[in-house]
Amino acid sequence: MLSDGILNQSVLTGLLQGQSVIHPRGASFKRHLAADLLLTALIDAFSILVIFLLMSFSSTGDVIFIGKDQELPKAHLGEVLERNPIIKVENDKIFVEDKEVNVNTITTELLSLRKLYTDFHPGVEFPGIATIQADRRLKYEELNKIILAMNQSGYSDIHFAVVLK
Amino acid sequence: MKSSKKHLDFEINLIPCIDLLSVCICFLLLTAVWLNVGSLNVKQAVGGQTQEDTPKNPVMWVRMSPQGELELDVQQSQLIPANLRKVHLAKVNSLPDWSGFERNIVAFRQLDPGLKTGLIQPAAVTAYEDIIDLMDKLKANGLTDLGVSPL
Repeated sequence: MLSDGILNQSVLTGLLQGQSVIHPRGASFKRHLAADLLLTALIDAFSILVIFLLMSFSSTGDVIFIGKDQELPKAHLGEVLERNPIIKVENDKIFVEDKEVNVNTITTELLSLRKLYTDFHPGVEFPGIATIQADRRLKYEELNKIILAMNQSGYSDIHFAVVLK
Repeated sequence: MKSSKKHLDFEINLIPCIDLLSVCICFLLLTAVWLNVGSLNVKQAVGGQTQEDTPKNPVMWVRMSPQGELELDVQQSQLIPANLRKVHLAKVNSLPDWSGFERNIVAFRQLDPGLKTGLIQPAAVTAYEDIIDLMDKLKANGLTDLGVSPL
C-alpha cells in the first residue's frame, strides 16, 4: 500500500541507484521519470495570496495622484477621501485640478469651478468642499494662501489628504 | 463474476483551480492600493456667518507658536472656571507637549462635556504635519468639529 503512495511515484530516484553490479542496466525500464507536482501546496499558497490581496483591495479607486517627492502627513482618524476639487501643492507650485495656478489666479480658478458645479447642478446648494494635497513638511504660510483663496471663493470645508496609519 | 477494478479514490482536477487563482492574483495585484489615503475634514474658522448667527457653543482655541509651544484657550464655556480656561504648554524634548495637551483636553471635557469645537491657529512656520497631528489628537479626544484659522 505504501509502495502505491504519491511519494513513491513522485520522487525521482538518483543516478547512482541505477549503477547496479548485478543488473548493470539498473531499474531504468521500471522507473517513472515523470514526477507529479504537489499541487495542493501551490493552491494553498495561491489562496493565501488571494486572501491577502482581497483584504488590501480598495473599491474607491485612486482619487489623488501622489508624486514621488511628495509625502502626505499621517493620521489615525481620517475619513474616506471623496471626489472634490483638488488643490495640490507640489515643488512650490499650486495646481487646481492639475491646472497650474498662482496666488493671484487661484481664486478665479476656484470660482470658475464653483460656477461649473452650479451650472451642472441647478437647484442644488453648492457644498463648498475642496481637498488640499500637500507635502507634510510644508509650512503653514504656504497653505494659508490656499485657505484664504478658498475662503474668498466660498469653499468653507477643507479636506486635508492624509495617509491613514 | 467480474471483479471491480475501478479505483474508488478519485483526484480532483486542480488545474482549473490554479488557473482561476492565477487570474484572481493578477487582477488583485493590478488593482491593489498599497497606500491607504483618507482625509481629515475641517472647516474654515473664520467664515461668512455673522457673530449673531453663530451659536454660542464652547470653543477651544489652540494657538501654535513658532517655537512649537501650545496655548489652549477655552471660550464661551459656562462650566469651566475662568482661571482654568487658559493653559500654556512649553516644549518637551524639542517637541510639542502632546501628553500635556491631551491631559488638558480630557480635563476640559470632564468639566464641560459640551466642548466639541476646536479651532486651530497655527504660526506661519508651523509644519503641515504638526497641524495634522494636532487635529488628529483633537478628534481622538472628542473634539469633532474642527476649524483652522488663516494667518
